[in-house]
Amino acid sequence: MDPAPPIITQAAPPLIEVEGLTKLYGDFPAVTDLSFTVRPGEVIGLVGPNGAGKTTTLRCLAGIIPPTRGSVRICGHDMAGQPIEAKRRLAFFADEPRLFDYLTVDQHLNFTARIYGVAHYREVARPLLEELEMADKTDKLPGELSRGMKQKLAIACGLLHAPEVIFFDEPLTGLDPIGIRRMKDSILKRSRAGAAILISSHLLHLLEEVCSHVLILKNGRKIIDGSLAEVRQKFSEQSGDTTFEEVFFRATGESKGSP
Amino acid sequence: MIAGALFYYQGHWWYNRLLTRIRRLRQPKYLFGAIVGGLYFYWYFIRSLARGGRGAPIPLGHQELAQGIASLVLFIMVALAWILPYSRAALSFTEAEVAFLFPAPIGRKTLIHFKLLKSQAVILFSAILLTLIGRSWGGGHFIIRALGWWIVFATMNLHSLGSSFARTRLLDRGFSNWLRRLLVLAVLCCVVGGVIYWALVTLPPPQIEGRTDLDWLARYATDVLRSGPLPYVLFPFRLVVAPSFAANAAQFLLALGPALAVMALLYWWVIRSNVAFEEASVELSRKTAERLAAVRSGNWHAARKPKKAARSPFQLSPTGLPAIALLWKNLTSAGSLVTARVWLFLVWAVIFGGFLAHSLTSRTEGLGAGLAVCALMLAGFSLFWGPQMIRSDLRLDLPVTDVLKMFPMPGWQVVLGEVLAPAAILTAVQWLLLLVALILFPNHFERLVTTPAQRFGFALASAIVLPCVDLIALIIPNAAVLFFPAWFQLGKDGPRGFETTGQQLILMFGQLLVLALSLAPAVALFTLIFFLTSPLFPMALRVLLGGAAAAVFLLVEAGFAIRLLGAVFERFDLSEENLAQG
Repeated sequence: MDPAPPIITQAAPPLIEVEGLTKLYGDFPAVTDLSFTVRPGEVIGLVGPNGAGKTTTLRCLAGIIPPTRGSVRICGHDMAGQPIEAKRRLAFFADEPRLFDYLTVDQHLNFTARIYGVAHYREVARPLLEELEMADKTDKLPGELSRGMKQKLAIACGLLHAPEVIFFDEPLTGLDPIGIRRMKDSILKRSRAGAAILISSHLLHLLEEVCSHVLILKNGRKIIDGSLAEVRQKFSEQSGDTTFEEVFFRATGESKGSP
Repeated sequence: MIAGALFYYQGHWWYNRLLTRIRRLRQPKYLFGAIVGGLYFYWYFIRSLARGGRGAPIPLGHQELAQGIASLVLFIMVALAWILPYSRAALSFTEAEVAFLFPAPIGRKTLIHFKLLKSQAVILFSAILLTLIGRSWGGGHFIIRALGWWIVFATMNLHSLGSSFARTRLLDRGFSNWLRRLLVLAVLCCVVGGVIYWALVTLPPPQIEGRTDLDWLARYATDVLRSGPLPYVLFPFRLVVAPSFAANAAQFLLALGPALAVMALLYWWVIRSNVAFEEASVELSRKTAERLAAVRSGNWHAARKPKKAARSPFQLSPTGLPAIALLWKNLTSAGSLVTARVWLFLVWAVIFGGFLAHSLTSRTEGLGAGLAVCALMLAGFSLFWGPQMIRSDLRLDLPVTDVLKMFPMPGWQVVLGEVLAPAAILTAVQWLLLLVALILFPNHFERLVTTPAQRFGFALASAIVLPCVDLIALIIPNAAVLFFPAWFQLGKDGPRGFETTGQQLILMFGQLLVLALSLAPAVALFTLIFFLTSPLFPMALRVLLGGAAAAVFLLVEAGFAIRLLGAVFERFDLSEENLAQG
């Protein structure tokens, strides 16, 4: 796949601003002093070994859990001070679709529209459902849908209010090859439309394909962030054609051969 | 060698489970729960055993009847095991057991032995529990009763397994489920018909006239059970239940031999059966795991019911107060019974039925008054039990709190939206009961004389106050969810024990106390207005005025509570409560 380059406007103000984010679980620091920004059109990949603090970071950014210290601003709105304005502009897609057992596909969309105040949601939902190939499943309950279809429903609900900021946690989990291709296309389409996207994933080839930037975490601390080219250059030693996988192992200090 | 591995697994499974339960007592919520649960169990079960372990003996003349009824119950259960089931033989294994044991070089018989051994734990637990619960059911020592229950359960377990294998074999040989059911029902009809014919022809009819007790029935039933064809039909079942009815050790040992012989026969039957159960077992383990996961995540609703799309209770507009979306969602989740159409039909039925009953006054006055009193009592009970039973609020949404936290709405709206659905359902039920009472309550009831205006005043005042009381009664358990969320994760750490029973008791009493304290000022206000206005207004109006004032007070109280809980919800840290994934 050779995607068209995303529109990245350096002059535009960042849609995601994270400053000194720290999250403690008791005494254990899950994330320590994390700062970064994401501008419109940027797709940033959040990578790190297990336990690096990726999911905790995403949950803090989405307003699900409060940070212990530091600030998160979404589209200029502080998540602590103006949580409603901030949440209105974002969508978070968890690795496992979180749906209500007793609401049908259509009822999910109706419910989401009311929560986000999408007045003409039917006009927005129809092309979305068609794009996701769910137009004939509007009266189905989540229990009657496959894993991939559930994920599509979660995506349809998340995109209904046209979020400017999108967080993905392991977006390819459980998808078939066609679903994977569509998900990648969808991410790129939203970024080209000007959304700021943050993807947490262990799939380095995915990040290499869709991300313009990368942020590597280890033990809750930022190792490096920047554009893919910058990060690759920093860890490429003498040879210039280092793969992102090699960059990851060098950056995190892990041995590639270790189990 | 394989048997050793299975013993190792089962032994360590129990050991680690026990260790986990003991370790979690370091957390205060489990420690307090264990203390209260322990006291509860001691007070209700152990204390009487410690005093001697014997319940009141079965009256001498009724021992044979009790034994006969017990064997008849077993007979019915065995017959049902051949009539009701429709699926192929499936042994219930956990998903891990299926993953490890099914591909392992283990024979089918070893798996059956493992299953039989594993089921002993549940059987023993059930036997002890029933001995404790039914401590006053018979005169024998509690050890004899516990062993008796064990024999009954173990025998039934073997029969259940054997019959499932036999049914599967019949299916494999072309006997459909319906053919098998027809044959079994035909045999049953012959037996029942034979017994009835014999009783009608041989036994003298019971003398009912002038009798106020039920001794005649007991005597007649004893005659039917001890003579004629029934003793032959029930003979093997009588052998199984006989040890439970032994009055002493000697009688028990005497009854034990034949009971064990029946068990041995069933064991031989089970082990001899060579029926493929693996495929159905895999499916069963998957379904069990799904149900278990739903229960452990607090979603009893999903675990219990087959999922079917429900009609929306009302048309949800895409704009407006977001809290209404939560009300709409929870009403939709509550099922297809919660629609305006159903409730309109119920109101119509009550009004029509009530006026029909009124038109037949001479025949139904007593019945009408009885129904009205029942309706009022149910409305009263619903104030306490309703909020415990209708849980389509934060208690049900606790596993999806992270989703709720993402919604762009203030915390107070989340709390309001969550409590509105159960409050609406409960209020609708109570209003219906009030309508029944209003229509059917007579002018003269015992020594109480009321006018239609007074009854209307009471009904209207109640209709105004009840939704407000419901709101308060529902805010309390939802507040408990937010203040003590870990206490609502009872299923998460594994199976329940007496410590979790203790937790539930603490929560229940705590909630009752808070409810009483919350309602006290409103009750005082009602009383004050009712008596202060007595020289000015008739009773119906005073009740209405007092009720309206109490309702306003309760609404203000509910408003403050919802605001406070909203702030708590906004600060609610899922990670601290161990609800987050990490």
